[in-house]
Amino acid sequence: MLTRLSPYLRQRLAFLVAGNVVLLVAIALLLKQGASFSDVLERCGPDVAPTVLAGLGMTGVIFTGAIDISIASIIVVAGTVFGILVQRGGSPAACYAACVLVTWLLSMVNGWLVRGLRVPAIIITLAGLTFYRGLALVIADMAIPSFTGNISVPDEAFHGPGKVYGGWILVAVLAGALAWEAFARVPRRWLALGSSEEACRLAGLNPGRILQSAFCASGLFLGLAGLIFVTRVQAIEPARMALGFELQVIGAVVLGGTNIFGGEGCFAGTVLGALFLYFTAQVLVYAGVNPYFQEAVTGALIIGVIGLDCALHRRRKLLEELA
Amino acid sequence: MPLLKLEAVEKSFAGVRALRPIQLELAAGEVLGLIGENGAGKSTLIKVLSGVLAPDAGVITWEGRPARFQTPHEALAAGIATIHQELACCGSLSVAENLLLGEPWPRRAWGGVAWGRLEAEAARQLAHFGLDIAPSRFFHELSAAQKQEVAIARALSRQARLLILDEPSASLSEPEVRRLFEHLERLRAAGVAILYVSHRLDEIVKLTDRVAVLRDGELVAVYPTREADVKRMVRDMVGRPLDQVYPHTRPARADSRSLELERVGRAGMFEEVSFAVHSGEIVGLAGLVGAGRSELARAIFGLYPVDRGQMRLFGRPWTPRDPRQALNAGLVYVPEERKRQGLVLEHSVGESISIGFSDLLARWGLIPAGAETARVQRALETFAIRATGPDQTVGTLSGGNQQKALLARWLDREPRVIVLDEPTRGVDVGAKAEIHALIDRLAGQGKAVLMVSSELPEVLGMSDRVLVMRGGSVSAELRGPAMTQENVILAASGLYTGEGGSPSSC
Repeated sequence: MLTRLSPYLRQRLAFLVAGNVVLLVAIALLLKQGASFSDVLERCGPDVAPTVLAGLGMTGVIFTGAIDISIASIIVVAGTVFGILVQRGGSPAACYAACVLVTWLLSMVNGWLVRGLRVPAIIITLAGLTFYRGLALVIADMAIPSFTGNISVPDEAFHGPGKVYGGWILVAVLAGALAWEAFARVPRRWLALGSSEEACRLAGLNPGRILQSAFCASGLFLGLAGLIFVTRVQAIEPARMALGFELQVIGAVVLGGTNIFGGEGCFAGTVLGALFLYFTAQVLVYAGVNPYFQEAVTGALIIGVIGLDCALHRRRKLLEELA
Repeated sequence: MPLLKLEAVEKSFAGVRALRPIQLELAAGEVLGLIGENGAGKSTLIKVLSGVLAPDAGVITWEGRPARFQTPHEALAAGIATIHQELACCGSLSVAENLLLGEPWPRRAWGGVAWGRLEAEAARQLAHFGLDIAPSRFFHELSAAQKQEVAIARALSRQARLLILDEPSASLSEPEVRRLFEHLERLRAAGVAILYVSHRLDEIVKLTDRVAVLRDGELVAVYPTREADVKRMVRDMVGRPLDQVYPHTRPARADSRSLELERVGRAGMFEEVSFAVHSGEIVGLAGLVGAGRSELARAIFGLYPVDRGQMRLFGRPWTPRDPRQALNAGLVYVPEERKRQGLVLEHSVGESISIGFSDLLARWGLIPAGAETARVQRALETFAIRATGPDQTVGTLSGGNQQKALLARWLDREPRVIVLDEPTRGVDVGAKAEIHALIDRLAGQGKAVLMVSSELPEVLGMSDRVLVMRGGSVSAELRGPAMTQENVILAASGLYTGEGGSPSSC
């Protein structure tokens, strides 16, 4: 599998592994008396699961040269539907299924719109970013009498995926996704599309269908990510839930070496990138850095990395354009 | 029965005839060379054959049946493979994946892709074509020649019976071209028909059975290659006599050198370029598209740095870091693609012009409106720009008037060296004459003009000297009676041997 990664990607993976080890050592050194390192690792699974799972889906979409920046808002819609069903007395299984299904459907809609309107994905999903969050608020307001801004889900029976099984879901899906990436043709077609749409068309492939399959897979990963995200909280607050989640996910993808303009990348990088962001945040917590400052550092890290990646690629593109 | 037959095939773009009714036949195992100047319609013809464009009229008969290809893939499936100059391949995938993109991939019992067998299949195809390229390599790591070989192997693995190659040798070295020819010879022996498009007439002579010459969208001649010599091909390509009259009012003078280049080079763009442009002189820079002319012009203007050699401007070393420095030094550049590089089409004519000199008028960042308007008005009159007024959107002007606005922008700075890149491309005849008169007047005022142009009559008619570039270096300097269309074409193909065949650093 490693042989199908470019030297550039392999280097990035090695760099991320080393970075994560350094961060873990830092956390171990910063641990106070009474706190155990295994607790840290145990908490890591469910904490990082939404970013990693959504990141896998996003990686596939970015492979094709598209992007989906509406994922946080999609999760909010799914969460709102989930909350409403809980309040209406739905069984846990039904509520979970609805959450995943809504996420998948909205991802598919994004794909259909990008294909059908022939508008760049970043524009379609930028509209989706605000539209879906608004949609969630409208649904909540209509479905819940005297809606005050949040939907509380106090019953612990509805928190299984988020609070109990999150880590296991992550491990299982991750293993499946990495194996699938290693042995399936579909991800290679996503990369082919992101690398040269013209080549795909000449080979008789349908670029629209390839793009749609990326949004389809992304919807499934995002559905599981959303499920864990939504079932971790006691109250679903459509206006504020998952704010900035899409940036964190795209940050993990780009940090993992996937080219933001498509055509190159790997799932493993995204996983390592998500862990890197998470451990960085943890180091700041254990180091006792002012919480306001933590947010700023994480944001700066994301912008810094994406900015760097874009600048490197832009330079290359610019040179090609001038030549 | 011919493999391919074109009857009265024509194609127009927005009323401009790109292909006049074309009759052409091609037999299996035949190599047909297609030649013509830039803009003669070669690309259009290729696109019509390969399914990129649909012809407006006429019939294409393929293997005895009328064919209408809607997409490149349909043409490919029918057996017509086209290798474009820009290869459409996926750089980040492996050679094997590129070869078999769109084909079924070998699978393991449980459904996973059998990578080993995929690469073995690719290796088999490569070996069949006599290529020694590891199928697991990334496509973007390959050399230009290897990329092309893979593209050809891919095309032929689909049982192509007609192979169209568009300028395949443009990015290849001499040994690579020889290898390509060996491949093509083998294909010809196997009964594949080949349509070979090239500017390099030496290759046409070496490779082809017949030659078809396009000129202004018309198929002017088709003859067996052995009956023709290079001179005849050139004559047929050029065709028209130099009938247009070009203004030449300026006195002949050999003033001081304004711009000098000494063995200037930039990796991958141009090498060992030496020449000088004197004030009051127009020097033409001719050559094929991709020969490095525009790159050189942009490097002189400071859009990219020069790796080697030295430039001098008015006798002082000239190492521009950015265009601003060039403007301040009295050097201006009018780009090739005015719509993409030159103008903001939504701006007004006045804004488009004043952007070039408003900084000279500005006082503490504010531009006095009165002075600006007066200058714009003067420029509109001086350059005879036909606009309803300074407020008209520049995008709605005709091409000629856009070009004049672009010239007007810089010329109010009183530049002393002017670099023009294709100054009359896409401009109608009347405006062309006006622009030519303008350029002549500028040279008459003592400005040094370097003019890149692909239009032979223009570059020959306007210039005092013509430098011909080929493959990134100056292959000939033509002056006086040697300034003929034939010589320019020969020099651009590397076949010119006449007087002054080597660049002198006058």
